[in-house]
Amino acid sequence: MSEKFGVKVEDIFNTMQERFRPEGAAGVDASFGYDIPGRGKWRLTVKDGTMKIEQADDLSGCVAVTRADPDTFVGVNIGKVDGTAAFTSGKISVEGDVGAVSTTFKLFKRFTPPKKELTVGEYILDMFGTLESRFQPQAAEGLDITIGYDIGGREGGRWTARIKDGKCTVKEGLALSPNLTMIVKAKDWVDLMLGEVDAMTLLSTGRAKVEGDMNLAVKLGELFAKYKAPGEEAEEGQQLLVLKKVISVGQRFATGPVMGKYLNGLKEKKILANKCPECGRTQVPPREICALCRVRCEEWVEVGPKGNVRLVDTAYYASPDPLSGETRETPYGLCYILLDGCKGQEVFAHFIRDDQLERIEMGWNEKKGTIVRPVWAEKRTGRVSDIKYFEIDE
Amino acid sequence: MKDGFDTTDCFVVEGKLALPYSYFAGRVGSKFLTTIRDEKRIMGIKCDKCKKVFVPPRQTCDVCMEDIRDNWVDVQNTGEVTNFTVVRYNDKHLPKKAPYILAMIKLDGADTSLVHVVEGMDVGKAKIGMKVQAVFARETTSTILDIDHFAPVS
Amino acid sequence: MAHRKKNRNVGVIGVGQTKHSSHREDVTQPEMVHEAVREALEDAGLTMKDVDCIVHGNMELFEMIHQPDLWHELGTGAYGKNAFRLTTGGTTGATLFCAGDNLVASGMYDVALVIGFEKLQEGHTTGGITNMADPLWFRSLQTGALTGTCAYDVIQEFGEERATRAAMMYRIIMDQNACLNPKAHRAFGLEWDQMDHLIKTSAKLIGELKIIDMCSQSDGACAVIMACEEKAKALSDKPVWVRDHITVHREETINILGYDQATKEKMTHRFAAEQLFKRNGITNPVEYFDVFEMYDPSSWWGVDWLREFFLLEGDEHLKLVEEKEIAIEGKIPVNPSGGVIASNPIGATALVRPAEACLQVRGDAGAHQIPRPVNHALASGFGGTLWTVLILLEKELGW
Repeated sequence: MSEKFGVKVEDIFNTMQERFRPEGAAGVDASFGYDIPGRGKWRLTVKDGTMKIEQADDLSGCVAVTRADPDTFVGVNIGKVDGTAAFTSGKISVEGDVGAVSTTFKLFKRFTPPKKELTVGEYILDMFGTLESRFQPQAAEGLDITIGYDIGGREGGRWTARIKDGKCTVKEGLALSPNLTMIVKAKDWVDLMLGEVDAMTLLSTGRAKVEGDMNLAVKLGELFAKYKAPGEEAEEGQQLLVLKKVISVGQRFATGPVMGKYLNGLKEKKILANKCPECGRTQVPPREICALCRVRCEEWVEVGPKGNVRLVDTAYYASPDPLSGETRETPYGLCYILLDGCKGQEVFAHFIRDDQLERIEMGWNEKKGTIVRPVWAEKRTGRVSDIKYFEIDE
Repeated sequence: MKDGFDTTDCFVVEGKLALPYSYFAGRVGSKFLTTIRDEKRIMGIKCDKCKKVFVPPRQTCDVCMEDIRDNWVDVQNTGEVTNFTVVRYNDKHLPKKAPYILAMIKLDGADTSLVHVVEGMDVGKAKIGMKVQAVFARETTSTILDIDHFAPVS
Repeated sequence: MAHRKKNRNVGVIGVGQTKHSSHREDVTQPEMVHEAVREALEDAGLTMKDVDCIVHGNMELFEMIHQPDLWHELGTGAYGKNAFRLTTGGTTGATLFCAGDNLVASGMYDVALVIGFEKLQEGHTTGGITNMADPLWFRSLQTGALTGTCAYDVIQEFGEERATRAAMMYRIIMDQNACLNPKAHRAFGLEWDQMDHLIKTSAKLIGELKIIDMCSQSDGACAVIMACEEKAKALSDKPVWVRDHITVHREETINILGYDQATKEKMTHRFAAEQLFKRNGITNPVEYFDVFEMYDPSSWWGVDWLREFFLLEGDEHLKLVEEKEIAIEGKIPVNPSGGVIASNPIGATALVRPAEACLQVRGDAGAHQIPRPVNHALASGFGGTLWTVLILLEKELGW
């Protein structure tokens, strides 16, 4: 008689050795008993980072004995039944040291019922064969991009997805200059699509590489629906709802007289700073008070417009600007510039012209970095974008 | 305007706060909402200790801290209004066009009230104690608005 | 600056954490918080009846729930009790701990339950962080918590090869610790022979900060129960005493990126450490402390701040990393829990630091327990524009 989920109690115990995680056994030295009425009793012995599982009639000496009916036992082990709930409601009971039982949870990888397995090559063909049909046009509004997939290994291949005007066409082969290329071995790609490994793990450990616009990589999850293996039965589990929304709240910010004067200065292509009467520090953008001396700063000076670059922080990953909801194209350079008239740490933050990023030299102590000048926007309204960016002064 | 306070340079910058968010209903919340969505049936959870049926359901009884997540019970689609207000302004985050009745509704079988909208009647005639019935949405969104509104029962 | 003696001593008697992860789709926020609360109560052997007040916090805006402490009442047990809400950015967890300490030390509450949480998967973390900046200027420029400036500093001072290797060594030690911590979110199982490969291939986020260096974004909650001396001794056989703490914030526009050694500002970390150690008579922090749970948002900062917190000079801090003295068996174990790079549910992270330090003092950390008596512990919180909270914990009273 097989259990409700198509998995037998014996399967759980017979696979314990292969699911064992020795690192989870660090510090564990005990025997644990399992009593499944109608199926039998098992004894799990853990010692020195190794384990032994055997059927046993006698469970004496076990630090704890877990008792559960076969369906609950299997259900909890395959993640279909909530263990805590089963325990709380008495469907699982523990005789002995309850705390000790929780140490057994990290001993094993979760049991996954054997499913009809395709080969890696078959999965790859099916995944890319269904890519077009899984395209989500509503997530691709305004997009005109090419994504390259460079799947390595014997079972791999190369594909390009072209997304434009809300449509997606997938062809074999790699386009010349895709906006984004995913480079990953076939087995890793299959595991990723099946949810057996997550993208962050692959990227962080170098098993997957992303070339091009990293921001697009983040969007991939929305552009295509989740892959479902052929013939996969409807999940018996419960659907977990997620509500996704972009929350956009209108805001109005009062400038006050100090930032107001500064922002108005930008309209006239002037960068204004104010000075502390006690320590002589210039503040740009200006602040009403010098935080160090706690006094009002009422003396204004014009600084720059040129300066030398002290640091360029080149960003390869951009986050959305909450003021506009948009995300900057990468790579871009956020830089800190010591404008003429400022000294020491009194730096000014802005962007460097995208195509000049590599040519910028950074300053250090008395050594000056590349001299740059602001490039002003045609129409200036008193915002940070009145300066488009800084470029090399040549 | 305060004396000596120069406002010549003061102005206002328009901006916004726009970021993407995800909200998870959780196991309990999901079961509640999917049952409404797929079976047009409303469920609650009972705390046996406090003898209270919570609608919407919750995982833990916040009074006695018992884990009650498996103790599902059915409640009726009918109930009574325990309190209400009339919303008389429009805003993009509101579910209906003004004026509309926003009510607290204790469904038959529940011990707590659910907040929802009452439609199909003159807003001026709403009364505490009036009987209402759930009207389910034709097009579902997997949110509480899969109950489109409550209508008065004559 | 006045700093008075406490009215009475405060001990930590219960600690609870969720397993930090990235996909808690099965719970709402109050349900997740409740897991940590339940564990802390069980650890302390208490029920909600024994708790006098709740201190709750997370980073504002991340989940776009306004005043979440109200909704979370469904899971925090705050029903009918005095409850406070605090939010101070990344340092929130540590500030919650300090607030709990202050509330109980004051004499007004005997037992406080301190709760920090974050469900980062529900929002956009970096986007949320940029909201900290001045909307009239820096908000459109800022890159959130991501910055390559620290990597740049360390590389400038010690050369690219030594600096990158030290940062990667730090990273691997943290990962090895995380593999021993069942609550940790990211535990990759990195090996030493992967070092060169990782340095070469890990994708860059900004400047020289690579994806492998950076902390994760986690969903998780942490709860800590603190009690006055009398109750702590009665309710627990191993309370961990809160000896002292200090909070140092810095103002946004005092810039530090001029790269001019002559005018270089003292970091808040060093400032906090100097003050805290001086007023507690600690002259050699590396010798004095048995463990340091540091809030390390990236491996670069982790390496750099060893020097600031331990008041070291030159390359002494690099040597601590290179000679693996910061590993669990080393002279001064740092982040035996795996630290912030392994698990970062931001509102809880800074609370997990003293919580893990307490577990170490008690000898209850399990597989990642330091194999020597832990009598003196240090924990730090970090946030915003280089804010620091530093907490001093002791096994025995009478310091």
